[in-house]
Amino acid sequence: MPIRCILHWQPNQGTVVNSQVLNEISQCVETLNGVKEGRCKASLTFYRPNLRDQSVTIDFPRDFLGISMLELPNKYFFIIRGQKIVLEADSSILLIMEKLQSYKSKVALNFEGVLYKLGDFQIRVIKVVPNQAESLRGIMVEIEYLPISSIEKSKQIMEEFIDIWKEIVAKKSLAGQFMHAEPNYAEYGLGDNYTSQHTAVQYAAALAQLIQSAQVRN
Amino acid sequence: MLEELSHVLNCVDNTCISCVMQLSVADMECVVQGIIETQYIILTFLQLIMIIWTFSIGTVASEVRLLCDLEQSEPSWSVRHVGGAMRGAGAEQVSVLVRSMVESKTSKNALRLFYALGYKFDHELLRVGFSFNFYRGAQITVTVASINKMLKLHATDEAVPVTLGIQMVEVIAPATSENYTEVATAMSSFCEYLAP
Repeated sequence: MPIRCILHWQPNQGTVVNSQVLNEISQCVETLNGVKEGRCKASLTFYRPNLRDQSVTIDFPRDFLGISMLELPNKYFFIIRGQKIVLEADSSILLIMEKLQSYKSKVALNFEGVLYKLGDFQIRVIKVVPNQAESLRGIMVEIEYLPISSIEKSKQIMEEFIDIWKEIVAKKSLAGQFMHAEPNYAEYGLGDNYTSQHTAVQYAAALAQLIQSAQVRN
Repeated sequence: MLEELSHVLNCVDNTCISCVMQLSVADMECVVQGIIETQYIILTFLQLIMIIWTFSIGTVASEVRLLCDLEQSEPSWSVRHVGGAMRGAGAEQVSVLVRSMVESKTSKNALRLFYALGYKFDHELLRVGFSFNFYRGAQITVTVASINKMLKLHATDEAVPVTLGIQMVEVIAPATSENYTEVATAMSSFCEYLAP
């Protein structure tokens, strides 16, 4: 499948992300003659072990996440970031987890986005909001290059596009910038050919960055 | 194909047969053995490791099964949960054991994931044999396989039969909570063709 890169918005120290910033970023896509094609959505859930004795939680992973994507309704992804594990499963795995009762979902976040088409590229401007709430927690931009699925082969063109994107955003003089930190896919056992598992790993990594920068600001 | 199946079942019939019959709500499986009269039979070879993992710390002890299909060029994994037996008036009306079963195909990291989540390895078995797939009142899969234990972890080349000369014969048919009685009837009907 086509390669994707996810950039997350890092607000400047002392500022917060808000809907004005989101609107300005959407306008940047329109500056590039991006055409709205539709909507996209993903959900990320944090799981915690279902233990009688909470003091033993240290023995269990603290970063066990589940990710669903609207574009793949029959799939579900599990990630344990600390141990670099990613698993793609049928969505029936959720029923299995419910029956097992070993882990419970604690916090869920939605990644709700608008999809724009720009020639061989697609851009998703994504807001990160808590499940059943409207408060904006973060902004991400997902850049997809349709003709190539090899991460290595698309590196140069993707970097060039990201540079152009950052320049356009910089002209808006917004209180922040887009950051891009590509995960080490090899550590997750993923190859050069891009897959949905790569996307799931990127979502988890981008969210970790968002959480970390929020903690630094607080 | 029909003659091969009859031959296989005759061979099995000459030994002791362990017969597992189970239905499960949500996803059901029925195991039946018998003479097949339909024209459409799909025969596949079966080589499958079933690994049982248990999670024993928590409010509920839970058990999960990881299955690895070794017959394909690339091993494929799935996770299966088998629930307790159905009880009550509904269960007494059918001549089979009914229990829930949910299965999910996964990518290859299932083993690592459950280990990382705190699940402990319980035991593993290797099933080697054949499976037949056909429609007879319900979509039925018949599996004839030997159950083998591995003397070393995941060492499929060193597997030995749990019980020499005995094959496990299973008939499985998917069903839902709405139609499991019809599927049970189809299964029972097929059972009548099985040798005792």
